Amino acid sequence: MKCFQATFFNKAAQESPVFEAGEEWAFLSSSFRKPLPDSRAAVPGPSTPWSRQRLARRRKIPRCGCVVLTVLALLLLTLGGVAASLFFTFSSSLNQIVGQHASCAKGTASNTDQNRINILLLGSDTDQKFQNQPLAQTNIVVTIDPTAKTVGMLSIPRDFFLDVPGYGMHKLDEAYSLGGVALSCLTIEQDFGIPLNYYAWVGLDGFINVINTVGGVDVNVTHTIVDDTYPNDINNAKDPYALERLYLAAGPQHLNGQEALEYVRSRHADLVGDFGRSARQQQVLTALKSKLDDPGIFGKLSTIANELKGSVKTDMQLTDVLKMMNFAKGLNVNAIQRLVLGPPYSTPGTAPADSGIDAGASVVFPNCSEIIPALQKLFQQGFQATCKIEGNPGVSSRAASQQNVAASPANHPLSLAASMAGNGNTSAELRLESVGSVGGNCVVSMLDGPGDLFGVRSMLDLMFLAVFESPDVLQV
Amino acid sequence: MRKRQPFSWRTLLLLIIVALSGQGCFGIGSNEKPFATVSHSQSVSVNQGVFQGKFYLTINGNLYVLNGATQTTQELVDTGNVMDPAVSPDGKWVAFVKKYQNYSDLCVVSTNGGQVRVLRSGNGYFYNASGLIHNTYHWYVQPAWSQDGSTLLFLSDLEKEDWYQQTGQDAPLLDLQVFATPFHNPTVTPTAVAYATYGDGGDQNPSYRPGHPNQIIYTHYTYDAATRTQQVIQLYMEDPNAISENPGVYYPGSPGGGYDPAIAITPTSSTVTDPAFSPDGNAIAFTKTDSSSNQMELDVMPVPPASITQTPNDPTAEQLALHAYETESSHLLTNTYLSEPVWSPDGKQIAYYNYSNNTFDLWIAQVSYNAKTSKYSLQGNPRQVTSGGVDAASHPVWTN
Repeated sequence: MKCFQATFFNKAAQESPVFEAGEEWAFLSSSFRKPLPDSRAAVPGPSTPWSRQRLARRRKIPRCGCVVLTVLALLLLTLGGVAASLFFTFSSSLNQIVGQHASCAKGTASNTDQNRINILLLGSDTDQKFQNQPLAQTNIVVTIDPTAKTVGMLSIPRDFFLDVPGYGMHKLDEAYSLGGVALSCLTIEQDFGIPLNYYAWVGLDGFINVINTVGGVDVNVTHTIVDDTYPNDINNAKDPYALERLYLAAGPQHLNGQEALEYVRSRHADLVGDFGRSARQQQVLTALKSKLDDPGIFGKLSTIANELKGSVKTDMQLTDVLKMMNFAKGLNVNAIQRLVLGPPYSTPGTAPADSGIDAGASVVFPNCSEIIPALQKLFQQGFQATCKIEGNPGVSSRAASQQNVAASPANHPLSLAASMAGNGNTSAELRLESVGSVGGNCVVSMLDGPGDLFGVRSMLDLMFLAVFESPDVLQV
Repeated sequence: MRKRQPFSWRTLLLLIIVALSGQGCFGIGSNEKPFATVSHSQSVSVNQGVFQGKFYLTINGNLYVLNGATQTTQELVDTGNVMDPAVSPDGKWVAFVKKYQNYSDLCVVSTNGGQVRVLRSGNGYFYNASGLIHNTYHWYVQPAWSQDGSTLLFLSDLEKEDWYQQTGQDAPLLDLQVFATPFHNPTVTPTAVAYATYGDGGDQNPSYRPGHPNQIIYTHYTYDAATRTQQVIQLYMEDPNAISENPGVYYPGSPGGGYDPAIAITPTSSTVTDPAFSPDGNAIAFTKTDSSSNQMELDVMPVPPASITQTPNDPTAEQLALHAYETESSHLLTNTYLSEPVWSPDGKQIAYYNYSNNTFDLWIAQVSYNAKTSKYSLQGNPRQVTSGGVDAASHPVWTN
């Protein structure tokens, strides 16, 4: 039909004595709207057989073609508009996530393995608290070795009782509350000797909102979930250590965001502990990613990007996140190592009287003799693991730490850290470039097809990584 | 003046095609018309002429009755936290559960609606005992009536603090166990009916066997005795009086341990859940998960000989209990998710939750029984009752 139309119009143009170069376009475009009164006057009269035939063809063909072409044109215009709108929406949203000015404070920890990249993932209870510095319930170090093509994840319990520079003995989650991202990074750097290049902060509310935005997830709950000590820390400003009870019946069912978070976060619902939790996470991730792969998700992407805007913050650039996620996804699952500093790496207990927190509060004491070799193995060559505090309730480094805090603000550990932070990012960026090249499947474009439009998918993976505290998210 | 071109047949054809496409998109054109639309925050339609009798089920935590005779829908409880309805044998009461953040209440309401009465409340508080946080909250879920309407079975963690010494476990027994309470005096201490093992959620879906007040069935969740890492999900039958009549004999256990009066009627190698007795008490509909394909089946098996619950820990009885499942099970349906089967009052149909178009909805399958082969088979295609999604974790009830 299109070929026929083109032939006809060209022929008409050639035959019409009044047509000149450039007027053919006017003829074509006007045919969409009206029956061409001017051009009709220019061609031989309607009484001749040729003109009758031509008019008959002109009447028959454009009618149907007009509808189709008009619809197509409108469709293209609409799609173009939507694409432009999405681009601006996503750019605006994602730009508020990445490139945060707050950055990891640089301590004295050093790593002779210049290619290795360490990223601190912090998970907090609610969104909108990034600036207000609530407790960080999740503290995970993701370590990437682009040369050896390995990724490791170190999960440090929130109740780890350790020296927070400048504040003495506290729980690890309080470091974020006392000094934000910078102090969280500095604490881990100082106490374990792990140099940190980047951080990413995730609000758990964002996970709930994202799941609700995609309409929840449908899973087969493989056994009844009962948990009497689930953390009641979402939107609970009064007591961030409060507990709540969970009950989720076994069987296929629809889970909203809150229920899905409970299902994947509960640590006490299985005899097999983290194995069971990991299986549950796989279920939810599979269901969630299936929804995210559905073409119908396009209509909700801007909402998801908006949810991400409030619940993920990082000092990485977007391309860095894309490279990191694609590198990790390209790895064999066996190449992802995981270390959780639960028993035997730590021992539950209560805070001693001379610490920075209330005596008798529940804490977890690091077991340094177990931790150091485990860290050495995870971070491999060129790394000097440290463990500044021993798992002994009677020993506190508070006094020693307080001696480090001089009266002058310039001598405060955070000030020192901030002054050193400026030198760190350049080399880290270079290393992330190497991640891209070594990974082989690095994404350098913001537009990676429907699977990762504008990098939203990679941002979601970053969020899942912090919420699930598991490398499983990279393998689903 | 040029005469206006008559409406082209091509344009007409195009419009017809567009209209037909739109019909497909909007779901118009189905033979069955919705007779009711449930509308709280979710639009659920019910198809006409698909069933007889009444269905009690929950949608978004609200309790509804779908009446096939009057083609109407009635909302009995609209608090948004309702689950697990169970209708009394005389059809006067609906027992159900209201779930709160840390506990649940076992409640009852007239089948005509009205005021909700709390039979047992699980409300409590957290307390600190030697640095460890405990609580006095309880779950009460999944009530089921005895055939004479005098007793309610339910699941609970009522004895969670009672078994440290007996079991040697340094943790409360949170896994849900089966208890019974008299309907007309629900505040008395409930009787333990079936015990759980630690760590895998306990028991689920208890119900009395029609015509056999001394037999119940339920799903039992545990881990394998050898490695304690693999889930074992089986159907168990039991004499509901065995524990109360033999005080001190039976107790909850660890995987592979413990000693209770229940007997497995499905093997450890199969993952079987959601048992539902037929109205005559001679068959059990259930769902089975194929671990290799992750697909679920709806199957039916005859009830094993009644004698098995009289000698539950006897190896001969244990062999006999598995025979019906292994040799006389009938496969009816397979899908991604199938759950909560329930028989029609005449025993000729089975309703169940099916996953279709990304929602869980109520469907009905016509079944027939062949006395010669002792097998059930599917008759025709299953029919959809609801569209738009119902609460799949809360089982439906089908009454006259």
